[in-house]
Amino acid sequence: MGYPHKSHPKETVVLSQYFGDADARTFKGWTKRGGYEALAQSLKMDPVAVTDVVKESGLRGRGGAGFPTGLKWSFMPKEKKKAHYLCVNADESEPGTFKDREIMRWTPHALLEGTAIAAHAIRAEVAYIYIRGEFTEPWTIMERALAEANAAGVFGTIKIHLHRGAGAYICGEETALMNSIEGKRGNPRIKPPFPAAAGLFGLPTTINNVETLAAVPHIIKRGAAWYKALCLSNPKSTGTKLFSVCGHVQRPGNYEVTMGFPLKDLLYDMCGGPPAGRTLKACIPGGSSVPILTREETEACLLDYEGVVATGSMLGSGGVIVFDDSADMVYQIMRLARFYAHESCAQCTQCREGTAWTTKIMERILAGQGKPKDLDLLLDLSENMTGKTICVLSDSCAAPIVSGIKKFRGEFEAYLAGKRQPVMVG
Amino acid sequence: MTVQEDYQPVFIGKVLEELQTVLGRYPNKQAALLPALWIAQREHGWISDRIMAEVAEVLGVTPAYVKGVVTFYTMYHQHPVGKNFVQVCTTSPCNLCGAEAVLKALLAQTGAGDAGATSPDGKWTIVEVECLGACGFATPVLVNDDFVENVTPDKVADLVKKYR
Amino acid sequence: MADGMINLTIDGAPVSVPPGTLVIEAAKQAGVLVPHYCYHPGLPVAGVCRMCLVEVEKAPKLQIACATTVTEGMVVNTQSVQAKDARQSVLEFLLINHPLDCPICDQAGECELQDFVFQEGQAGTRFGEFAKRFNPVEDFGPDVLYVPNRCILCTRCVRFMEDVAKEPVLNVSERGDRAFIGIHPEARLDHPWAGNVVDLCPVGSLLSKDFLHKARAWELDKTASICTGCSQGCNITLDTRDEVVVRVRPRPNLDVNRYFICDHGRMHYRWMNRGDRIEAPLLRRDGELKAVDWDEALNHVAGILRGASGKAVALVSAGASSEALAAAKRLLSGFTWTGAFQVVMGEEASLAGVPNLALRAERAPNAKGAEQLGYTRDYAPAIAAAKTAAVVLVLDDPDCAVVADGALIYLGTVLDENAACRRADVILPIANVAEEEGTFTNRDGREQRYFQAKPAPGMAQPAAWVLGELARAMGLAEVA
Repeated sequence: MGYPHKSHPKETVVLSQYFGDADARTFKGWTKRGGYEALAQSLKMDPVAVTDVVKESGLRGRGGAGFPTGLKWSFMPKEKKKAHYLCVNADESEPGTFKDREIMRWTPHALLEGTAIAAHAIRAEVAYIYIRGEFTEPWTIMERALAEANAAGVFGTIKIHLHRGAGAYICGEETALMNSIEGKRGNPRIKPPFPAAAGLFGLPTTINNVETLAAVPHIIKRGAAWYKALCLSNPKSTGTKLFSVCGHVQRPGNYEVTMGFPLKDLLYDMCGGPPAGRTLKACIPGGSSVPILTREETEACLLDYEGVVATGSMLGSGGVIVFDDSADMVYQIMRLARFYAHESCAQCTQCREGTAWTTKIMERILAGQGKPKDLDLLLDLSENMTGKTICVLSDSCAAPIVSGIKKFRGEFEAYLAGKRQPVMVG
Repeated sequence: MTVQEDYQPVFIGKVLEELQTVLGRYPNKQAALLPALWIAQREHGWISDRIMAEVAEVLGVTPAYVKGVVTFYTMYHQHPVGKNFVQVCTTSPCNLCGAEAVLKALLAQTGAGDAGATSPDGKWTIVEVECLGACGFATPVLVNDDFVENVTPDKVADLVKKYR
Repeated sequence: MADGMINLTIDGAPVSVPPGTLVIEAAKQAGVLVPHYCYHPGLPVAGVCRMCLVEVEKAPKLQIACATTVTEGMVVNTQSVQAKDARQSVLEFLLINHPLDCPICDQAGECELQDFVFQEGQAGTRFGEFAKRFNPVEDFGPDVLYVPNRCILCTRCVRFMEDVAKEPVLNVSERGDRAFIGIHPEARLDHPWAGNVVDLCPVGSLLSKDFLHKARAWELDKTASICTGCSQGCNITLDTRDEVVVRVRPRPNLDVNRYFICDHGRMHYRWMNRGDRIEAPLLRRDGELKAVDWDEALNHVAGILRGASGKAVALVSAGASSEALAAAKRLLSGFTWTGAFQVVMGEEASLAGVPNLALRAERAPNAKGAEQLGYTRDYAPAIAAAKTAAVVLVLDDPDCAVVADGALIYLGTVLDENAACRRADVILPIANVAEEEGTFTNRDGREQRYFQAKPAPGMAQPAAWVLGELARAMGLAEVA
């Protein structure tokens, strides 16, 4: 795993092999463990060849969208007419997710190596690693690692810079991230134009997540076939994924499993299930922006992109939030709505006003002042907030509301009927 | 721009050199705005309107533009804060693990009282923040730049003692 | 397509537009106004208000018409249930924090929020008794007030200052539903073209202090005119209430001023309402000025002109209409004629984001027209020549400090106590630019027409009419 726990036998340890191993953070320690060989190999390959390997491996974006990585790289202009950029999304702010932090803390060179390989593949001269402002420890570790790697000259002509965020979840959205690097408010951009055509500073850009890039050196070194073979269910979902399990489990942490792994085994075998005497009530499998699953759905769910969709949710970032029977679903959903209301950038009307209005109604319900029509109103607002905005923050606010009311309606109605003590002040 | 005689510019000497290095990483000056604001906050403790005007001048943008950026990002302080600026995550994953009790304990034991207010002795400002990206180590608490993991109400007393 | 045009269907109507046209613009051709707020043809596209969501066949989600480019065979439906529901929901979201200020809001009657809510909004609110967000009114100075409560964050004002005025003095501050339009405390909204943000604001959030609570939009009569502030020739609309000019707004002209006017022109209208006007023709008899009717006045002047010969000097205003200037010259065609004007000069102030648009140094609308008609800027020599001229005609130039031994005829709107032209033999009252129809030629040689917005006071008449009547009385032929 999974610092601070030891690896569980059912894990497939690739990215997390050196989590907890302080020596692996150093340049010497990393190279001793075989690091930067993949980069040296890639730099000798044609960029298109590198892209082909990654395409063949089936690697998909691990930030949440699950877009095929090799395909994304191939969107960059075939003819090199302008400067190209690579942006690394280390803005990890999706509630429930804490894997990129661990990758940077324990294996900073893995990220640097993957970044350099990707930059080579897309012919980017410069790469920016956008690290959220709150990640003070990963920042310091990445700074040190970058300095060491630069001193060793492993990146060739590729320049990698760290860029510090300053507190905005929305900067994890790829176009908002670019705006933030450009010194602007982190507002998402309307698409088209797409980043590969006009991205950072108006130039062709690719944005990749930390976990995605950390996998790249392994793929180059051990081959696409190896990565592709890491598959337990759907062949379109290959490789391993770090699942960040948190909430009501005995052993929270990051667990690395092969795609298609049963969520049930992850929660019960590896994490020890909910605390003693409690039972699982709900689970959000992919970070707070995806629909909530009931216990039955959770126990039937296979952890790959298609599997989770088949269960009625999405793999997303792989941030698994577990709710046991002591959890107040209504309260937690309110807290999520409040999160989105705080993080809305304010551009789109539906998001700016809708996230706040949704939060107010939820607070009203929790204060024992809910109105009979509130649930219908919440559902209607959620529909109005879905599929109509520049980015999906608005949709993300709607997801827990819609799935929460659908699957835990009884808890909402208990507040509305006055059967439950208000937990907030009206 | 009004000239205040007692205003000490931030970007002089070594700090200006540091900014020059940062500027070298970007193709234009505007892109150095977030790093410049971090430097300013490090030097001055918070970002005043006057500092925004200085940053604007150094980077060739308008003060209003800088203000628009500063007010967007939650980590830039627009007013002085206590010696210890403490960020407590209370978003759902941490909330499930008792984050609000941690927040309450911190507010009480530091004398800060209300979230966002500075304690009378000037040593603490506690704020509630959104997901800090350490959900498996609930409840994470950032004390200035120190990221403290696994804080529970019973550990608050030691935390307060350590940083006071 | 063979002719290079893109053909598509909008609400069932076939439309043919050049490639690259936005759906929202193409829709105009079909006679369809897609409701919108943040979009403006004079500003870069933002796509934030989400009001212009339309259904596009084969697209999985609704598309914003302001950022969607036409494609061949595209089928757009602005009136589908989905599109209307989406727009209705945007209006609902906008109204939850928007105060019910209509009874006290200047924008009422010309408010795009009112318009679209009336057209397709909901009858009631579901927001209930939640408190609306409140922020106090801010003075952005010198003329602009910002009422944050009414702001719908369309960001037109921010984009105008940043991309058109090229002085980013406005920003969006904060995030989420706490956001508002901000300005740095050390800055003022004093850019020479800043007043345009008031026009651009679709609601009553940005207000002109000059116009504050002056009139209701539906009380105003609107007349097309041309700004007299300088030689740029911006197209304007004069808004009058009870025959008093209360406001000047830009009129779109893509070749001259696009959608904008400068603050100097915007505030340059009070003089049109001056009450101390010359209201009747005046003749000097027994050393005193006596009011007479037009017939008598015209006959008297004609008599003067018939009885004079030699030099005639015309001292004119560069703000007189081309018709009047031409008529004045024709009237004096029997003399050795000198015509001159003087123009007040000021500092030029360009609107950086628009080519060839500025508050021009020449603060008069028709200097070019005057030049084209043969008037020169050699004003001082003309004043000197006027001393010994047989006839001096002063047209709309109240500060003219001429001393004439011969006949002095003054056509003007006002004449102060101590003005030199009080010594004139004849004083004829004329209409000002708001009270007549005429033509100005701007600095680029463009002839533009302005129209009558209010009646002239008393017996005042357009100068062109007065001079034309005089020429007729003199038996002078019309100019070809």
